[in-house]
Amino acid sequence: MRDFLIDLTVLLVFASAGVAQDKQAPAQRPLTLYQKLEAAGNTGGPAPRRDLLGAWTGPLTPKYVDPPPLTPLGEKLFKLNSPDPFSASSNDPWGTCDPFGFPRSATTETRGIAFAQMPGRMVIMAQYGRIWRSVWMDGRELPKNVGVKGGPDTTWYGYSVGHWDGDNTLVVSTTGLDDKTWIDRRGYPHSVDLRVEERYTRLDHDTLELTLTIDDPKIYTKPFVIAKNRFKWIPNQEDEEQMCVPSEAIEYRKLIVVPADQDQARGKK
Amino acid sequence: MKLWFIESLALLMICTPVFAHHGSTAYDTNKVVVLKGATVTKYVWANPHVIITFDVKDEKGNVQHWSAEAGTPQAVVLSGWSKTSVQPGDVISVYLFQSKTGNLVGRLNKIVLADGSELRDSALGYKEAEGEGKK
Repeated sequence: MRDFLIDLTVLLVFASAGVAQDKQAPAQRPLTLYQKLEAAGNTGGPAPRRDLLGAWTGPLTPKYVDPPPLTPLGEKLFKLNSPDPFSASSNDPWGTCDPFGFPRSATTETRGIAFAQMPGRMVIMAQYGRIWRSVWMDGRELPKNVGVKGGPDTTWYGYSVGHWDGDNTLVVSTTGLDDKTWIDRRGYPHSVDLRVEERYTRLDHDTLELTLTIDDPKIYTKPFVIAKNRFKWIPNQEDEEQMCVPSEAIEYRKLIVVPADQDQARGKK
Repeated sequence: MKLWFIESLALLMICTPVFAHHGSTAYDTNKVVVLKGATVTKYVWANPHVIITFDVKDEKGNVQHWSAEAGTPQAVVLSGWSKTSVQPGDVISVYLFQSKTGNLVGRLNKIVLADGSELRDSALGYKEAEGEGKK
């Protein structure tokens, strides 16, 4: 056994030396705008008071946190969801370009967000799918009995109100969310009773941090932070166009997903 | 000795980085398939991923119809791609990782255009440089 390990070590050393000598220096994958700005680490000076207005870039996906135990109903619903739109057997609504809804729009494809001001409200925009959410800042309360007969209807992006907490943190509360959406790309479900809190803290002029908290007692046994994300101020303030187009998704499925058959490769068949 | 060698190779392959970008598990990333003299039949600049379909003759002269994907447009632009990089009728060389099913579909490593310029995939075009982390 010892001889085998020595053989193996020698071979590995030789193999890596061979790689180093024979190959040219590998091409380096270019950094995304977010990675470049994050690596540069510029602060741009202190954060202006109560001001997030403008365009920000983030990573493809934020850091997810595991939820607390699900309720029996939550477990039942979670089992129905088969994530990964790159698998032919997935039922991820993203695979057919259904609207992300909220909070999925804040947990999936987060390369770009922007904040704008309208009378009485803040508008939060997501680059992917060109989504626009109104956050009322005029002191009104969230609607009650959403989704109940006689009450307001649930919607993809719900009803949002916001306020400032100190000089640098915008707190947004959202309710009235249609339960056909997933909360993230892992396939976690929610009920119409879901309440989401977003806390956007501008750490300095160039850096914005988001903490996203889920509160849905029908599905999760306690409230929890599902994701933290970080955004950097875009120096030239330009954004990109990213659309999920149903006809293109159908073509992708036909040309790539079905013949590549990821499920077979994973032994799921 | 021969057995040790095979085991060592297997170990090396296991040690190669896992490509965590979505959609890569369907492909055999240990082997690059090289297809020269490929004629582009379609170039799709779209979400979720860029697609190139092309025809290439096998060793018997039969035309094979392939489909290959690269990263999302917002990712491959960083490697020099654009909506007008490739057109139907272009003759290119294709380096790809084929589906484990053996179907004529793959994830691009890179393509080489008629003028000799290379366009690399955002995920599997930089195997040695991998390290962007889980997405």
